[in-house]
Amino acid sequence: MENTIVALATPTGRSGIGVIRLSGANSLEIVRTLVRDKNFSPTPRTALLQKIYDLETPDVLDEAIITYFQAPRSFTGEDLIEISCHGSPVILRQIIDLCLRLNARMAEAGEFSLRALANGRMNLSQAEAIRDLIDAQTVAVARQSIRQMRGELSNQLQPLKDALLNVIVILESSLEFVEDDLPDFQAEKIKSDLQVIVETLDKTASTFQAGKLLREGLRVALVGRPNVGKSSLFNALLGAERAIVTEIAGTTRDQIHEKFTINNIPISLIDTAGLRETSDVIEGIGIERSKRAMVDADLVIVLIDGSENLTDEDKKIIAQVDGLSHLFAINKSDLSRDKVKDINNSKTLRVSAKTGFGLSELKKAIVQPFASQEIENKGFLITDSRHFDLLLRAKLEIESSSSLIDNKISEEIILIGLHNALRYLGEVTGETTTEEMLARIFSTFCIGK
Amino acid sequence: MIFDEDFDVIIIGAGHAGCEAASAAARLGVDTALVTINLDLIGQMSCNPAIGGVAKGHIVREIDALGGIMGRVIDRTGIQFRLLNRSRGPAVQSPRAQADRALYRTEMRRVLEFTPNLHLRQGVITDLIVKDNKIIGVNLQDTRKFGAKSVVIAAGTFLNGMIHTGKNTFSAGRAGEPASIELAESLKKLGFPVGRLKTGTPPRLDGRTIDWGAFEPQTADEKPVAFSFATEKIEQPQVQCFIGYTNNDLHNKIRDNIDQSPLYSGKIKGIGPRYCPSIEDKVVKFADKARHQLFLEPEGHNTNEIYLNGFSTSLPAELQQNLLKMIDGFEDVRIIRPGYAIEYDFVDPRELSFSMESFRIKGLFLAGQINGTTGYEEAACQGLIAGINAAFNVLNRPAFRLGRDEAYIGVLIDDLIRNGVDEPYRIFTSRAEARLTLRHDNADQRLFPKGKEIGLLVDSEWEKFNRKRDRITQLRDVLTNTRFKRSDIEYSSLSQLLGRDLGDTITLFQFAQREGVNSQIIHRLLPDNLQATVKLADLDTALADLLYRGYIETQKVSNERIYHNDNLKVPDEFDFRVLSGVSYEMIERLERAKPKTFAQVRKIPGLTPAAISTILVYLTAAKVSA
Repeated sequence: MENTIVALATPTGRSGIGVIRLSGANSLEIVRTLVRDKNFSPTPRTALLQKIYDLETPDVLDEAIITYFQAPRSFTGEDLIEISCHGSPVILRQIIDLCLRLNARMAEAGEFSLRALANGRMNLSQAEAIRDLIDAQTVAVARQSIRQMRGELSNQLQPLKDALLNVIVILESSLEFVEDDLPDFQAEKIKSDLQVIVETLDKTASTFQAGKLLREGLRVALVGRPNVGKSSLFNALLGAERAIVTEIAGTTRDQIHEKFTINNIPISLIDTAGLRETSDVIEGIGIERSKRAMVDADLVIVLIDGSENLTDEDKKIIAQVDGLSHLFAINKSDLSRDKVKDINNSKTLRVSAKTGFGLSELKKAIVQPFASQEIENKGFLITDSRHFDLLLRAKLEIESSSSLIDNKISEEIILIGLHNALRYLGEVTGETTTEEMLARIFSTFCIGK
Repeated sequence: MIFDEDFDVIIIGAGHAGCEAASAAARLGVDTALVTINLDLIGQMSCNPAIGGVAKGHIVREIDALGGIMGRVIDRTGIQFRLLNRSRGPAVQSPRAQADRALYRTEMRRVLEFTPNLHLRQGVITDLIVKDNKIIGVNLQDTRKFGAKSVVIAAGTFLNGMIHTGKNTFSAGRAGEPASIELAESLKKLGFPVGRLKTGTPPRLDGRTIDWGAFEPQTADEKPVAFSFATEKIEQPQVQCFIGYTNNDLHNKIRDNIDQSPLYSGKIKGIGPRYCPSIEDKVVKFADKARHQLFLEPEGHNTNEIYLNGFSTSLPAELQQNLLKMIDGFEDVRIIRPGYAIEYDFVDPRELSFSMESFRIKGLFLAGQINGTTGYEEAACQGLIAGINAAFNVLNRPAFRLGRDEAYIGVLIDDLIRNGVDEPYRIFTSRAEARLTLRHDNADQRLFPKGKEIGLLVDSEWEKFNRKRDRITQLRDVLTNTRFKRSDIEYSSLSQLLGRDLGDTITLFQFAQREGVNSQIIHRLLPDNLQATVKLADLDTALADLLYRGYIETQKVSNERIYHNDNLKVPDEFDFRVLSGVSYEMIERLERAKPKTFAQVRKIPGLTPAAISTILVYLTAAKVSA
């Protein structure tokens, strides 16, 4: 039975809507878990609005349109499901991660098309086109990913692979050369060696977040009640007079998007209409959009007027961002002594859009939760989700093997996970053949009667 | 052409490969001749007098399950049986037995003598007679000509064999026997690519000159595990082996005299096995090791000869004697036969198909050390497969093949014909992807049905096997479905036995996995009707099946994840030149490698990822249109 694959069908990066595609026999089962409905049996080829839930928490990740294409009447010829979500890369990534945890596999380049071909949903002459497609994908990511495949990532993983191979060599030797005078292997040493490998894998995998950040950037929404100075701050951050600034509350009636960078991270900044109860229809639509923007953003900056006490509107907004990634900025710190001390015990930053006071701290604070030190170190970053997937799988395999050592399980079973991990790493660094492993055994130990 | 004698199948060489090939072909009903240089040395163990070991023991049991003879012969002549890796999982446990060298030879000859359709002939084959790329017979040195439809060459180390001790070099197939020089030339003339390998053997000592008190004894298992599924009982009296060690002074003396070793003087060009290094190699390559292990293995009940395993050497005989005297317990030792190194020709096994038949000459099969392998077991299994297929060739039956997931034999043959060899090839459990499935104890479960289909098993064996299979199926069922609850009478006694709480409920299988529980205990817990019929070995097999079941399932899933396209076949007539956008260099690599599956495509060195994905698309398309 072919396994189920998952991938983002729309281009990565910002878009209004992102489509996740699942293909394979377990697609429907996976979606049933996502929508928390064991009996979910959508009519094929009908779009259905469904809530997508996190696996453990009661959180709704997104409301998405789900369309089921029943085998064989689908693009791939297998059961295929398209999940159209809101385009936030964060949400898309979360949903794909859930699918992976539910035992889908990250699709390889062109794999959906390949399955279509394998299931006779495409004819021979179209095969040519697929090859071009695969090539095109290779070309599109050529510079970064080819270098990654052959060079940097491989170099990064090589020492890990070596360390893993060393452990495998010790365990294999103890099985194969039982009559030879080999040193007894030390379970504790092996466990600590594996632990080091797991930690390094973890560290490398964690750069995925940062790598993604460099590629896709952050979406930051600026919210607050009218006339707290959102547009002034917007302009100050951009370093340009982009938004119209007046004394009149409610001047900004629709969102304005602009892009700038902080430490090379592309930031898409959204100045939103001030949030307040209003009877003005146009302003009302703007406010609705603001709320939407808050939900879709990676980070919400709540701007408070520090020269006044917190108003009910402020408090309402503060309550709305609870559960979203956010930070509080107290504006007009130039005017008078701050009247606002702290909000919900959260961290607050003091800024002045007018004088520029606190802007550099604000910039730092915007990227800080997303980019750990890796980005500043300009070290190696994982950007390909397939590589991320491989590293995680390798890590899980090693962890499960390592836990078996405690239970006094025989080496041939402990080795299964280690060999699997070696193969996952091998997809980046190149396969380790049995011959290479044996060569290392013979150069490490004096084997043979 | 008129022949002195006409046969269906001729086997050249009566070593471990030749004996299996001859026995199998003859028992499949075709007229078979076994031709050897010396009929008195049939089934000779040229090196250590032992059979089995990890992975090798698996192979012997597989040979037996397919209907081969090695297992039965060693069971009747083994003088020290031990199950290796006893403390580890059942998949990597493997039987090993020390043989009485002379008895083994005699018993092998007896078995062959009593095989119908089999004709033993003594003589030296000098040439292959080939017509239209098809084998039709062989020429002998004594001017006889034998005709045949299939020929299996199992010449071992005899092709252009060259023995080295110190500076002394002479032509020989084994110590005291002539090399096959003409046959080697004949193969070269037919265009077979030939390489050179090397192996070595240690000195044999006079047991009466050894101070045995200086060595640790190593005893046989109390309950020997036999190789053959037909063997009921090991009859030979069991003997002890002994373990000793080299020392630093000896190492220094070897290093001081290293120029006397033909290995280090550059005289030996052939490549030796890394897992069977000479004592010179051990001392030079692992210079920091303070001592190396030696095994003193008796050669049989009726001889004083002792095989000094671990001391393979090609140093001059006099130096060998002096070195040995430096070992505790060997102060007065005397050598009966000195160790030596031997270089010999081998044929690139990539010349062969999975049936062991050569692509070059129809009806010509190669088996054993001639294909670059080492070890009696590795040789024997190739002989068996070659013998079966040589007979099938005559009988017009489709060739027999074993997959990598079915048997170690399948792994070995696939490795050989796909990768060729760089050094003498030995089997290891790590070469098998399906290590957990390929156990020694379930070789019958895996292969008896195939042995039956081939026709090498007799009906009574088949019926016996079926009964065993039923018992094991029933056992697996009972082990997983028998539950002990806290309220059950047995529960408290089981819990007491382990001195531990067992949880609210425990199955018999779960109980069997607890530390301190062995299969004897489980046997006593079986329902009465089963206790009477079930043997301990059945129970061990059923437990092993259950132990690995989950892991094998998970592994299948993860393999499928990684290799989901690997089984895509490259059609026989596939023209790599149709691959558009693939460079000529890539196409050449593909054409040279002749991959049969996508898995093989993936492993071709130098193919770019783009070329690999292109061929994947084409293979997928080809599969659909097929």
